[in-house]
Amino acid sequence: GPAHGRQCHRQQGSGSGSGSGSGSDSGSARPQPPEPSLLRFLVCPLSKRPLRYEEATNELINEELGIAYPIIDGIPNMVPEAARMTRKKPPAEGSEQP
Amino acid sequence: VYQVFENVAKKYDVMNDSMTLGIHRVWKDILIHKMNPCPGTLLLDVAGGTGDIAFRFINYVRSVRQRQLQRKLKHHQNLSWQEIFESYQKDQFNSLGDSQVVVCDINKEMLKVGKQKAQHLGYSEGLSWVLGNAEELPFDDDKFDVYTIAFGIRNVTRIDLALQEAYRVLKPGGRFLCLEFSHVSNPLLSRLYDLYSFQVIPVLGEVIAGDWRSYQYLVESIRQFPPQEELKAMIEDAGFFRVDYENLNFGIVAIHSGFKL
Repeated sequence: GPAHGRQCHRQQGSGSGSGSGSGSDSGSARPQPPEPSLLRFLVCPLSKRPLRYEEATNELINEELGIAYPIIDGIPNMVPEAARMTRKKPPAEGSEQP
Repeated sequence: VYQVFENVAKKYDVMNDSMTLGIHRVWKDILIHKMNPCPGTLLLDVAGGTGDIAFRFINYVRSVRQRQLQRKLKHHQNLSWQEIFESYQKDQFNSLGDSQVVVCDINKEMLKVGKQKAQHLGYSEGLSWVLGNAEELPFDDDKFDVYTIAFGIRNVTRIDLALQEAYRVLKPGGRFLCLEFSHVSNPLLSRLYDLYSFQVIPVLGEVIAGDWRSYQYLVESIRQFPPQEELKAMIEDAGFFRVDYENLNFGIVAIHSGFKL
């Protein structure tokens, strides 16, 4: 079973309500959804436009640019290097990250 | 820079304690006290990978909230026990008073360490972790009440971009706070500080973390970082008002503060 011996204010209901730290222990291969409150703040770092959370792939998708940011271990990876293209044709701009 | 922090992530806290003889804890405490957040504050902590600032913030608003609740109850002496009990129940689930902190760091390892620490120490509510670049933040405009960057801004390639992003994501009235190593003007202290930095710290790095080079890099980056007045000017350039700084330990570190109007 999950190894939570810790005191947390909130119960570890998966995906419901706020409170992170739901079972990110070693060996758990279940993709962790991001915290709902976090989704209110996050936008695409490139275009600063809103994102859509795709539960199936556990990604945050910018439909306009056709890119998807992964969520790894419950942490959204909001850097263009980590993103993948959702369309076959790449968008007009390239990402110039140092 | 990235690889430096991959190496140091796991030993980060231990090294901080050794390098600064534990004083970094005091500096961070001072930063939070200066911030003096009230419950309901929304904080963005950038480059705060291992969570030091975030945890302090949570502790602070929690204790402010406690006092708020106690005061409230004192004023309601004529409530029935049922009502008092219910107000405890209600407030138990709001022990932070809707305060929230988002920790944003570019390094996955630092965030992982931070997240584990949070679990270990029992922090769960009001805390989120995001992998992002300080020069290109994945947050919308005018969102946060406070932006902090503690010992992170010297590792940013384009400080001007990071400052512009900080300005962008802060709400009007929001506060920018930067805690960073700075310059010691006193010549004698400066010599001693240099000696310590270049002779002792890389050795500690080797002994504790098995990594001389990363800590050599850290020490050098401190020397190359702009001094107090120059950083103040850069912060003003980004649009902040009432920018000023407070030296701690004769300028070994400084806290810069500015407001978005």
